[in-house]
Amino acid sequence: MSPTDEGFDQQSQNNWKGVFSISSYTQYFDVDTDVVVNRLISSFYPAGGDFFNKIGANPDLYGLIWITTTLVFMLAAFGNCATYLIQKRTDRTTSWSFDVGYVNAAACGIYGYSLVVPVAFYFLLRYLGSNASLVRFLCMWGYSLSIFIPTAFLLLIPVEILRWIIILIAGTASSCFVTLNLTSYIGGSNDLRMMMIAAFLLQMALAIFIKAWFFP
Amino acid sequence: MSNSHSDTIPLRPSNSQSDIDEIRSLIDDSVHSGPAVVLPARHPATTPPPSSSPFISSNIPPPPPVSSSSSLQKLQSVPAAPPPPPPVGNSSSIVANGFGPPPNTLTEPVLDTVKRDLWRIVSNLKLVVFPNPFREDPGKALRDWDLWGPFFFIVFLGVALSWSASVKKSQVFAVAFALLAAGAVILTLNVLLLGGHIIFFQSLSLLGYCLFPLDVGALICMLKDNVVAKVIIVCLALAWSSWAAYPFMSSAVNPNRKALALYPVLLMYLSVGFLIIAID
Repeated sequence: MSPTDEGFDQQSQNNWKGVFSISSYTQYFDVDTDVVVNRLISSFYPAGGDFFNKIGANPDLYGLIWITTTLVFMLAAFGNCATYLIQKRTDRTTSWSFDVGYVNAAACGIYGYSLVVPVAFYFLLRYLGSNASLVRFLCMWGYSLSIFIPTAFLLLIPVEILRWIIILIAGTASSCFVTLNLTSYIGGSNDLRMMMIAAFLLQMALAIFIKAWFFP
Repeated sequence: MSNSHSDTIPLRPSNSQSDIDEIRSLIDDSVHSGPAVVLPARHPATTPPPSSSPFISSNIPPPPPVSSSSSLQKLQSVPAAPPPPPPVGNSSSIVANGFGPPPNTLTEPVLDTVKRDLWRIVSNLKLVVFPNPFREDPGKALRDWDLWGPFFFIVFLGVALSWSASVKKSQVFAVAFALLAAGAVILTLNVLLLGGHIIFFQSLSLLGYCLFPLDVGALICMLKDNVVAKVIIVCLALAWSSWAAYPFMSSAVNPNRKALALYPVLLMYLSVGFLIIAID
């Protein structure tokens, strides 16, 4: 997260006091409850495309951190419940067992995705010359994961075909959210179209991974 | 609140001094009182070199009225008769008794230290987890914070969860310990990042003490294996923990951001509660 990045944006203030000082990070958490709720709700509607305008000069990392953490917990908890329910349908004699490996897998998967993908896109887009802001990318990708939280709850339903339908709908919505916002932020140009498609596919891949690993 | 003054004659007004204040006052007093320090347990001939660490041993005979000059000095500096010997083995060794600077806690018996720390844990627990008039004021609520209590509670919860697990016991302990320890640090950082005002270690201490109801819940769940009972017990324990942590966390931040600060606390306790129910 380089401080010079903020220098390109006219309105943001730069209070960088060093990597180890908490006060240099408080600028990324300068949001109130209603602002966070507003952003959260807008992330459920993929057709908007104006998320970056909504963030404006005040991107926050609060959403990224706590949405990913909530998702990790939900996947671990509901994944175990759903696995038990599906096994119970096929084999009446299975007993409940809590696989704590789900927590590790969820943490690695979700945290890894939400950190690596925005950083990768940031560096790639910078290399290709367009104007990208790392904090805004992290913020946007973080909020894009929020739709998977109710999805994880709905995936408890032990009907396989329904699960696939649910996860495909959620994955499409999330991917559209990411792609539309990315397009409107970067400005659509031909060579960047590959980036948009890659973003879409990555988000879909995450959705499929969630279904396949935690809700088999 | 430091309770070490409670069982001796309070010649110095008992106040809730933290350890660092005690040490500071000890050093100040020893500087001021100089060589006329009373060592009631010592015969003048066997007096150790004047140091800042006089200590009261359990069986103190009153200093005999010998005629050496040094003891005359001591007798003159004694304003009243020496106090009756305190009972053996109580934690009086760091008390102020008016005869000079309080004794050094480094040289007291280990049992006294342990008892004092245990007493502090109990009193902090009473302040944090049970209703008391100081709840709304975090500064007053835990002035004498310590990290022993939280440490015990976290380890106990990890051990209880690991005990009840049938497979991957060590992984369960690791997950529980990491979740609670890292969670406390991250929750504190969250409040600080949201612009709140808390003291880092005091907050760690408070979040650790608020785990006590979940510890009780985990203990009961270890003994009783019925799922419905577990759910009820864990819900009650969760409600109690959240109630204990709520005033502290909410008063630390701007009211507009109260929910932002409280939600992660709820999430952490919920995940621990789920682990307690789910692990069998």
